[in-house]
Amino acid sequence: MKLFRFGLGSSSKLEPRQQERLQALRRLQPLSDCRLADGRFVVVDLETTGLNLRRDQVISIGAVVIENSAIDFSQMFERTLYRERIKISASILIHGIAPSELATGSDPVEALLDFMEFVGESPLLAFHAGFDQRMLLRALRESLAYRMPHAFFDVAEIAPLLRPEANLRNAGLDDWVGYFALHVLQRHNASADAMATAELGLILLKLAHRQGIETLAQLEQRLNGWRRTQQPQHSL
Amino acid sequence: MSKADVFAKAGKTAVLQNIHGTMEFLRKFPPFNQMENAHLAYLVENCHLRFYAAEETIVAPENGVVQYFYIVKQGRVYGERSASDTHGARSTFEITAGECFPMAALLGERATRTAHLASEDTFCLVLGKPAFAKLIALSEPLRDFAIRGVSSLLDQVNQQVQRRAVESLGEQYSLDTRLGDLALLQPVFCLPSMPLNRAVHLMNEQHVGSVVMVDTELHPLGIFTLRDLRRVIASGIDDLTQPIARFMTQQPFYLPPDASAFDAAIAMTERHIAHVCVVENGRLRGVISERDLFSLQRVDLVHLAQTIRHASRLDMLAGMRIQIRQLVDNMLAHGASSTQVTHIVTLLNDHTVARVIELAIEDMGDPGVPFTWLCFGSEGRCEQTLYTDQDNGILFEAQDPDETARIRGKLLPLAERINLDLAQCGFSLCKGKIMAGNPEMCLSRQEWSRRFQSFILDSTPEHLLGSTIFFDLRVVWGPTDGCEQLRRELLEQIEEQTLFQRLMAENALRHRPPAGRFRDFVVSRKGNDKTPTLDLKKEGLTPFVDGARLLALANGIEATNTQERLRQLIEAGIVDAKDGSAYEEAYQFIQQTRMEQHQQQAREQLPYSNRLDPDTLNHLDRRILRESFRQAQRLQASLALRYHL
Repeated sequence: MKLFRFGLGSSSKLEPRQQERLQALRRLQPLSDCRLADGRFVVVDLETTGLNLRRDQVISIGAVVIENSAIDFSQMFERTLYRERIKISASILIHGIAPSELATGSDPVEALLDFMEFVGESPLLAFHAGFDQRMLLRALRESLAYRMPHAFFDVAEIAPLLRPEANLRNAGLDDWVGYFALHVLQRHNASADAMATAELGLILLKLAHRQGIETLAQLEQRLNGWRRTQQPQHSL
Repeated sequence: MSKADVFAKAGKTAVLQNIHGTMEFLRKFPPFNQMENAHLAYLVENCHLRFYAAEETIVAPENGVVQYFYIVKQGRVYGERSASDTHGARSTFEITAGECFPMAALLGERATRTAHLASEDTFCLVLGKPAFAKLIALSEPLRDFAIRGVSSLLDQVNQQVQRRAVESLGEQYSLDTRLGDLALLQPVFCLPSMPLNRAVHLMNEQHVGSVVMVDTELHPLGIFTLRDLRRVIASGIDDLTQPIARFMTQQPFYLPPDASAFDAAIAMTERHIAHVCVVENGRLRGVISERDLFSLQRVDLVHLAQTIRHASRLDMLAGMRIQIRQLVDNMLAHGASSTQVTHIVTLLNDHTVARVIELAIEDMGDPGVPFTWLCFGSEGRCEQTLYTDQDNGILFEAQDPDETARIRGKLLPLAERINLDLAQCGFSLCKGKIMAGNPEMCLSRQEWSRRFQSFILDSTPEHLLGSTIFFDLRVVWGPTDGCEQLRRELLEQIEEQTLFQRLMAENALRHRPPAGRFRDFVVSRKGNDKTPTLDLKKEGLTPFVDGARLLALANGIEATNTQERLRQLIEAGIVDAKDGSAYEEAYQFIQQTRMEQHQQQAREQLPYSNRLDPDTLNHLDRRILRESFRQAQRLQASLALRYHL
């Protein structure tokens, strides 16, 4: 019952102003209208207390915007989320967020509302997007009772689709950063990882353009085809 | 602060992570490293990051008025100018991480003259024109850089050199300091009627080595120094109450407050004095002493010059080479420019040569015929570093071949001896035998004249090489008239001989500056070297030296020093003032880099070499060196154009 009360309780705990903000979140545009060259994409990276999709919690959100094929430094997002009684796990050691920092972080409700307003109607881009999408969806459901309808695109899929000759299988962000020889300034905090992913994103946008992919819908179509070719090899 | 505010603040500081990282990156490069934090943050917060694939155009003349300021974050960008006269496009420069463009076009609110293309996959930080304009108004270092470009970087190098000096010597001191700014104590002065003993008492009381005699209007009339006192006492004097006017040196040498410490040092060396009055509008403002100038240095310039001039034995002169090296070390450490250092080295070398000649004459007896000791090459151009070969000769006057042979016979043994003595003093013997002891180099004025004429009229490769050495001639010792006459003839002949000028121009293009298109520097391996290097002298300095010589000789300019030639070429309107001063700065920087390397090699007891591995330079020096080589390329390009090569 505790879980139930947590979910319901926090959404009912929303202040009137927060309820208003939740209602005001905008609807999405169809993917076919979203052109790669001049669209807006939110590149996101999360840090969590661990890798368990049901138990672990989002502790920080970093996001970078690609708009008109450029990373816009005036649109940067990072919030550390305030969490009570957090256990020190491997993730905390990797990300270097000290429990004391979490203790001074933002109220999760405010942080998540800020984030959704920041995202607006834009589709999201992440490395291993499936993980980020599910963690974020759960956090939004629990804190805001909000179902996030946005599309997520996975850079870990787009990169091998557009650059098969790299011959990188199940490669991580570091592998692709190494492959494209990106000079990444610092790593392993949510905003720096989002930045690295966004730089990869800029290169991929150019590759997509050269391969005749102009909209997100076309990209989605190509990805579906690519996933089918990948499956038999996986099932072996 | 409410809880919500605290949360908001914690959230906001976190936003800065990527901004902060990018600022840290920019802080590694000038001019961003000099910008205020808030200004740099404004720059980063307002920019975009864009990706350009290899060979993609970033900005080009056809894009119209430039709308963005670009900083390379990663990768390389090259400039390409479509040249209508030559074959197709020509690449002009290369820009790497931390550098920005297109400054001139942005400031001029015009299109770029050069297309900027990515030479490999490249990321650029891009700032819109309104934000750039605001930033230029806010940030002085950026403004300075935008307007003065590489020149402002040179200032930074000088600051850097001086900072290094501060580290090693613990106090800042520059030879460029205005005399008026050097903390001059109230000068000690008195009326000429003051008795000698009271004047000395005054000096003793004030702990100074000199007292200046002035009239009631403070106009300096004379100076009396401790050295004068020694002379007075030694001459045996009974009455110490005689007026000081009897013993003072009249009309003391003075400089205006705007003169530099360097000017004072040079004056002291040339005039063998230890005190210089500082006079403004005819009135005494202060006195600067040798001790004031060189109080930090173990070895002082003036003392050194005097010791050289009064050395009684050759081994004393030879021993002084070490001290000269220390002096140069100190001067470089104190932020002296390469021009100042070569000037001092030339001065001290001239003193040494003169003293060697005098000692040789004392020892072997006067040959009984007047002669002039000439020097050529870098010595002739007053561009010697401490490590140069002898390039010298003798000029004498003779009526006919018989007399010529007779005088040559008299002078040769002396000349040979001087050459050997100079070798002992550290001037290595010339492998090409350009030394006065060689009968070919000990000639009458008519013989020199004939030789120079053959160089000009009959341009064999050997003659061409000869002209690059001999046409930089200068007198070190003896009467100067003969040499001046020779020079006038030379200039008249060259002015008429356009074919010779053209050949010299070809020759001046022989050594290509080592700046490349796809890499910063063109380096090569020499012998068994592990690391590839470039030649600072041949590839860096020679293009300037050859270019300035050609233009000077072709336009009747008598100066032999490369920088002086450039300055006179500007005055005569032959070289554009901006171009000329850019050449001069570039030349000076390469020379400075070379001298610092030589000093370093001497300290480490390595054989000296002009070859440099550019990877050993710091970022700033590296970038300026590359710019300097580009200036050499520009000079060569202008020669090619002028002489239709």
